[in-house]
Amino acid sequence: MNRVLYASAAAVALTAGMASAEQVTVFGPWLGPDQINVEAVLAAFAESSGHDVRYVGSDSFEQQIAVDLEAGSPPNVAAFPQPGLAAEMANRGFLTPLSNGTADWLRENYAAGDSWVDLGTYADPGGNMNMYGFPYKTDVKSLVWFVPENFEDAGYEIPGTMEELKALTDQIVADGETPWCIGLGSGGATGWPATDWVEDLLLRTQDPGVYDQWVTNEIAFDDPRIVAAIEEFGAFARNDDYVAGGAGVVASTDFRDSPKGMFSSPPQCYMHRQASFIPAFFPEGTIVGEDADFFYFPAYSDKDLGSPVLGAGTTWVITNDSQGAHDLIEFLKTPQAHEIWMARKGFLTPFKGANPDAFSDPTLRKMNDILLGATTFRFDGSDLMPGGVGAGTFWTGMVDYTGGKPAAEVASEIQSSWEALK
Amino acid sequence: MEAALLGVFTIIIGVGGCISYFYFSNLFTDKVLFPARNISEADVGGHRTRAALWTAAIPFLILVAVIIIQVVLAGVFALVSPGVDAVAIGIPTKVLIYAAVIAVVIGALIFFITGSKPVSAGQNINRANALRPWLFLAPALTALGLYLAYPVLETLRLSLTERIPGGGSDFVGLANYAQMMSEAKFWEALTNNMYWLIVVPALSTAFGLLAAQLTDRISWGNIAKSLIFMPMAISFVGAAVIWKLVYDTRPIDQDQIGVLNAMYLSLGGDEPQTWLTIPFWNNFFLMAVLIWIQTGFAMVILSAALRGIPEETIEAAIIDGASPFQIFFKIKIPQIMGTIVVVWTTITIVVLKIFDIVFAMTNGQWETQVLANYMYDKLFRANDWGVGSAAAMIIMLLVTPILIWNVQNARKEMR
Amino acid sequence: MDNIAGTKSSLTWAVHISVAVLVFLWLFPTLGLFVSSFRTADQIATSGWWKAMFPAEQNLTLRTAPPATQVQQGNLYVIEGNLFEDESSEATISVFGISSRDIDAFVPGDTAEMRGGERVTVQANGDYRLESDVEMEGGRGERVFVTAETPPEFTFQNYRNVLFDPSNREGMAKAFFNTLTVTIPATIIPILVAAFAAYALAWMDFPGRALLIAAVVGLLVVPLQLALIPLLRLHLEWGIGKGYVGVWLAHTGFGLPLAIYLLRNYMVGLPRDIIENAKVDGATDFQIFTKIILPLSFPALASFAIFQFLWTWNDLLVALVFLIDATGETTVMTKQIVELLGTRGGNWEILATSAFVSIAVPLVVFFAMQRYLVRGLLAGSVK
Repeated sequence: MNRVLYASAAAVALTAGMASAEQVTVFGPWLGPDQINVEAVLAAFAESSGHDVRYVGSDSFEQQIAVDLEAGSPPNVAAFPQPGLAAEMANRGFLTPLSNGTADWLRENYAAGDSWVDLGTYADPGGNMNMYGFPYKTDVKSLVWFVPENFEDAGYEIPGTMEELKALTDQIVADGETPWCIGLGSGGATGWPATDWVEDLLLRTQDPGVYDQWVTNEIAFDDPRIVAAIEEFGAFARNDDYVAGGAGVVASTDFRDSPKGMFSSPPQCYMHRQASFIPAFFPEGTIVGEDADFFYFPAYSDKDLGSPVLGAGTTWVITNDSQGAHDLIEFLKTPQAHEIWMARKGFLTPFKGANPDAFSDPTLRKMNDILLGATTFRFDGSDLMPGGVGAGTFWTGMVDYTGGKPAAEVASEIQSSWEALK
Repeated sequence: MEAALLGVFTIIIGVGGCISYFYFSNLFTDKVLFPARNISEADVGGHRTRAALWTAAIPFLILVAVIIIQVVLAGVFALVSPGVDAVAIGIPTKVLIYAAVIAVVIGALIFFITGSKPVSAGQNINRANALRPWLFLAPALTALGLYLAYPVLETLRLSLTERIPGGGSDFVGLANYAQMMSEAKFWEALTNNMYWLIVVPALSTAFGLLAAQLTDRISWGNIAKSLIFMPMAISFVGAAVIWKLVYDTRPIDQDQIGVLNAMYLSLGGDEPQTWLTIPFWNNFFLMAVLIWIQTGFAMVILSAALRGIPEETIEAAIIDGASPFQIFFKIKIPQIMGTIVVVWTTITIVVLKIFDIVFAMTNGQWETQVLANYMYDKLFRANDWGVGSAAAMIIMLLVTPILIWNVQNARKEMR
Repeated sequence: MDNIAGTKSSLTWAVHISVAVLVFLWLFPTLGLFVSSFRTADQIATSGWWKAMFPAEQNLTLRTAPPATQVQQGNLYVIEGNLFEDESSEATISVFGISSRDIDAFVPGDTAEMRGGERVTVQANGDYRLESDVEMEGGRGERVFVTAETPPEFTFQNYRNVLFDPSNREGMAKAFFNTLTVTIPATIIPILVAAFAAYALAWMDFPGRALLIAAVVGLLVVPLQLALIPLLRLHLEWGIGKGYVGVWLAHTGFGLPLAIYLLRNYMVGLPRDIIENAKVDGATDFQIFTKIILPLSFPALASFAIFQFLWTWNDLLVALVFLIDATGETTVMTKQIVELLGTRGGNWEILATSAFVSIAVPLVVFFAMQRYLVRGLLAGSVK
């Protein structure tokens, strides 16, 4: 077999055959339409820098980047959807710190800059804190979607506070209809939509400090405050009258199918809480802003916690040090890098230097205003927790909870799985 | 274009390489190393040197062949795609050094083996025959060793260690196993795996045998076989999609899009069931998917075995007045028992490794966890290599009974 | 064989019927996917595929033309048209409504008054007339909820999207050839290597044979996921990195235990006297292998070839780890299909369609090989 090896290796090298400009390889989670978007941004970078930029996407990003980093064949730059995973990789010494001044730049130019700096700062193997991750591309999760014409038909108003939202929910039930569509199904990731609910509700019932300590497990998962937030979610999802199809189907309904209930005739539900990307799964031809719209998932008026916003996004890190990789991170600091994707779809940014007129449609701009206007911005907690919890027991625990297990029991199981990881 | 061309070349080089390895290694053994003739006292020294030198030359001959192939490939590619500027031709120094080391080692080995005593033709043939199995086995053993045995040893090591931040690892003994044993999810996975191990191989083999026996006797048997085989051609992920559609649940006031619920409701069921979330039974709904896939495999292999049964045994039974059922159970089954064991073993092993179906359909929730998915969870979600490797070792341990059974079978055959 | 008087005809019928039932059971799930691949995403999500062949009663939300198209007729502002976008649609409306709360308030021919004072009249075939005393405003038409009997409808759009969409046509073609480049050597090489090893384990006598057989069975069970990181590391160290060579070697290594196991068990069952006679006639092991064993084992070789081909064709994991490097130059069909599904995956119609696109080649291979399965057997069973 040996004799085959080398010849074909040469031939492969030859078909790939280019040498001149520096090659910058980028690996990310985006496929399909989003891949075209990110490639447009990278094309602009290629043009301005002269580098040869290649993007590869994968739907099993987390697994593949782990394999590549452990084995030693990583791309130059990787866009992590989960800062928790990036932190683990930094801890193993696989990441290269960003150039000095990046942290200061973020503090100055990103809305709520400090929280973004924290998001990209991880400990290296020696325990020293370095800035590794550059946040770029954000999703807002605290949104409730609805069909405006259905609200008009029924005479409902958009609720401005959590109290009003709950009153509206009861009102819809009283009218003989079902208020919510909730679906947690997502194949191997089943359960994650529930974690967003819990996080959003925790931010609306407790101080953001509680949230931060919960994410790092300084406050235990089975703390009464956390259990209360889970039960708050249960008040919506475990009530047969509140959820289309009854509480029994919540865990098994695919999250991609669940919003479709709002558009059926007659409507199966009136509201759907989901992140800014969900319109991709609305029925064909749905125009956001006309056929469907959203409002901010409101806060309690009597709790005085401001208007907290839950979000998510990707952090770009250098996984294979090269000048080209640093050039790319520098490029992401330019307004151009943000405006290209803003002009397309599904991109929000806390970057104050980007011109909001670049947004292709007013809906995105409205979402971005929610992001920029947040008094508290917190990153999706499950993405910050260690993978075994944030992408494991937290998901499965929420499925168990919607299936009828008591919240306290679920929470203590998640807590013990977290302790096992330490 | 290049890809297609490259593919053709590989097939030629790879397959040609394999064939020429087997051909020339045998030729070399029979002609150069242990020729089937008497080697006299006078001849023995010369033969010994010749054999050792030729053996030592082999690595270099291979390298020359590699260079020739490179040059040919480079030429062809230059013709096909002139835009390509640089072609790497040559052998890295590292490889050259390896080749030299290997040459010295095997040359010395042969020099040592051939010895300085005269040998008879018979002795030489015996020596050649003793070496030949290893010539036949060498490529397979190399590949197995590198691609499977080495990872197993690595896994064993990992299962006894714990990684510390910043690389390196600490030996922790059986701590990983202890931690795993304390997790309820592990026991759930183990129990479920047992159900899988009992149900899936049995039903797949039974259905496969049934299909093989029945389709062999009818005119449209081949078409029927192809249709039953079709699920084999669908990837696990595709199969998961198909069955999700079957098990789908919609609220009672909507049209069901899942066949199972539609049937259940039309047969008088009161409300749609979410099949995949009913504890215990959902395991069997997942198993159905694998049975559906593996039956085709069992059928193809068993049908070949059934056709291999000598006609006269069956004819004799018919003359004796045996009924078709007696023929099947008393004459046919015993004759293909060996193949049934093979099919059973193979499917058992697929079951031990079953991952994709559970991952794509429930991800082990609602009490459907299985060992391979548990292992995946630990390896790539929790990033806990220690426990993940320990789970893998358990999977490999479970194969032991099958291993012993097969070895005993093989021992019997040898006599 | 079946010439036992009296039982033949009833038994034959029983056989035909049981095979038919078995085939139906096995085909049914796939059939669902096949029918679904000709339906739109919305159709798949709202009605069972087995109803696709029949006219269906559906609740639809339709819209009148936007106010921009209104014409003034005397004192009235009027919009006329057909609610169904497709003019030739044969749908028949049974009831309609103008509020999502009351979708069956009117029967065709009725005139309904909207909140804004407009009046709309809808006919059974979808023709409508919307009139208003004042000029209508807004960017969109009014919603009309209808319950209609729609004829069955199928579309090739899914296949067009997967195969011929300009944005991925090129990628698909490239992926197709790449996949062949991966699968063909990854099928042939392990078979060759395994055949020799299987012969040695079946018919050659040497110390440690039983141990080796045990080792092969034991290695069957090694979970693939474990081997990925150490092996990729090994490949990088050897300098072959990520590429075809690596993926061929990996598939060879992972496919070998089963190949050896299946082939050995087949070869062991070959008639002993043929081999012993040949040995007596002075044939070497190499000759016995190539002249007798290989031809006789053709059915086993062919069936393993089918399986190995299927596995490598449907594989994504090994390709992702060992083939597809950061430059993205090489891609395979499975990867291409996953890309089509989009970042967050899960479109039924694309999944259904791509499953059938990728199943086509393996099926052709199976049909082609099936002939050899039979022929080889017939040759082998000659006594």
